Amino acid sequence: MEPGQAMLLQYEVEQFLYREAALLDDRRFGEWLALLADDIHYWMPIRRTVTVENLRLEYASSDGMAYFDDDRNDLRMRVEKLQSNSAWSENPPSRTRHFVSNVRILEVNGDEIALEAAIHLYRSRLNDKIDNWVGRRRDRLRRVDGAFQIFERHIFLDQTVVLSTNFSSIF
Amino acid sequence: MPDHVQLNPAAEDAADVLIPDVTGGLIDRSIYTDPNLYRLELQRIFARAWNFMCHETQIPNAGDYFINFIGEDQVIVVRGEDGRIRALLNTCRHRGNALCRAELGNTRTFVCSYHGWTYGLDGRLLGIPGKADFYRNQIDQEKWGLAPAAKVDHYKGFYFATLDPEAPSLFDYLGDVGRIGIESMLNHGEVVALDGVQKNVIDCNWKIAVDNLFDWYHVKVSHNSASRVGFLNQAAMMPMTQMVMLGELGHAIGGPMVTREEQARIDALSDDERIAIDRLPDAERLKVTPTLRRPLRSTDTKAAMGPVGVRATGHPNIFPNLWISTRGMQMSLRLPRGPGRTEIWWFTVMPKSFTPEQRRAAKKFITHSFGPAGLLEQDDGENWSQSTMAGQGVVSRRYPHNMQMAMGQDEVLVDATGQKSIETRVNEHAQRWTYRCWAEWLRARDWPELLATRSPSPIGRV
Repeated sequence: MEPGQAMLLQYEVEQFLYREAALLDDRRFGEWLALLADDIHYWMPIRRTVTVENLRLEYASSDGMAYFDDDRNDLRMRVEKLQSNSAWSENPPSRTRHFVSNVRILEVNGDEIALEAAIHLYRSRLNDKIDNWVGRRRDRLRRVDGAFQIFERHIFLDQTVVLSTNFSSIF
Repeated sequence: MPDHVQLNPAAEDAADVLIPDVTGGLIDRSIYTDPNLYRLELQRIFARAWNFMCHETQIPNAGDYFINFIGEDQVIVVRGEDGRIRALLNTCRHRGNALCRAELGNTRTFVCSYHGWTYGLDGRLLGIPGKADFYRNQIDQEKWGLAPAAKVDHYKGFYFATLDPEAPSLFDYLGDVGRIGIESMLNHGEVVALDGVQKNVIDCNWKIAVDNLFDWYHVKVSHNSASRVGFLNQAAMMPMTQMVMLGELGHAIGGPMVTREEQARIDALSDDERIAIDRLPDAERLKVTPTLRRPLRSTDTKAAMGPVGVRATGHPNIFPNLWISTRGMQMSLRLPRGPGRTEIWWFTVMPKSFTPEQRRAAKKFITHSFGPAGLLEQDDGENWSQSTMAGQGVVSRRYPHNMQMAMGQDEVLVDATGQKSIETRVNEHAQRWTYRCWAEWLRARDWPELLATRSPSPIGRV
């Protein structure tokens, strides 16, 4: 790819990720759902504290348990739950800020783009509850009719025991 | 065998702590916040009880270890060269440093990162750096091995440990009700633990999390959103027929049941027919199953659980803090981290005989029910934490919680084999039983006193 093209793609991808983050922070969950491909896999494996000798065990295997292991219908349920007024973990609603940075495009294959980013999701809940979730995100985007769709989102958090009451937010 | 244990029960045991009377279904809020009561719970419940450690398939090879807790005592559960599973306190005998700082792994020895004392997989002290030069060989290495749990045993592959040498055998400890709980995970024969234990922290008292597992009253309201989005079938989750079984020492099962009529229809099917029905997708299964409850229990399971136990498809709790959940495929440990803080751990086991499709469907159901991201559990934590925290208010604290639902309204049934059940609607019998036994554990100074003073499983009106 020529430098000019690469810069343009980087810009397009970053702008897409920022817009997506803003939709989540603005609670425009329906519009966020529309960015997902039908075949999306949204996954957050269990991460564990292990010794250097046992780093191969750091993440639970993909056929093991995970915090999130969602397809589009699962995410649809999460979104509808967020939009209902009886999802008590989100009523009163949390205030979130999704930061996305260190965006690196790893691979471009036709209409498909693999990228990695550093994420920081800040959640302020009720009057005195603060959560900070920091980690690495591996996304795969597909260009459909000129717009991006997300068809893979794998989230690797930088904490092991989750120091939060729940994960009621979308990463 | 390690030596030099110092015992000073008077200094350790907060024997003068006031233990509120909970038998009338009124729960004094101090039990969720009082730091002295909490210390007493650690001493007289956790350090005395059989605590769940892990399933045998989590540590299959020599040197495999998994860290767990008995109250706030951290233990290394490790398989030795001899294949035996031991539970050792994770604290160096020299200066108390944590030997193992990982959650799990494989090792040949445990080496302390402070001064290098080195222990074997069986806890023996293998090496002391500078033993000749600095200790002048004046240390009896044999006596400074890791402190082991008093007893480690398993029931059909599920390992437990107790720190109290006076504890009864695990089999007797579990009793009929505790064993039914474990048998509910073995309906399809041998199981294997799935890789990965979900862990998160909730700012609540551990008992609020525990009593919630029997609470089929909260489902409709707390989990309203999960049913509105189509995840939860409220009618199936909250039938009007409920069964409670109460076991000595605080074990209990509470929740939906298979009725006698449904059980007769299950009995008329062969085991193969039952398996075939459970392999159907939900919508197909509904048309042919004798009961909504899952799974259809086998002839062997019925023999192991008894004619009443086999119909108890609600939630078992093995006292104090092991909930057997999610159709017998998960266990949730509620680990105390101070009066107002609890770690929730989710273990998952699945039958080795499951087809890949069954396994996939089960995993999907499990992942979306529980754990911090679960569509159900998401909405529990804040309720539990607010219920705990409101007990801090000086005046709020004077108003006890009401746990009187169906009190004095039901009769314990005793069947020909002696198994007891309460067959009724949504109720709070199991919660009241849990707190009644909790108070008995706290009052008794040791195991002999507990065994002499504990309530028998109730009969008559409850």
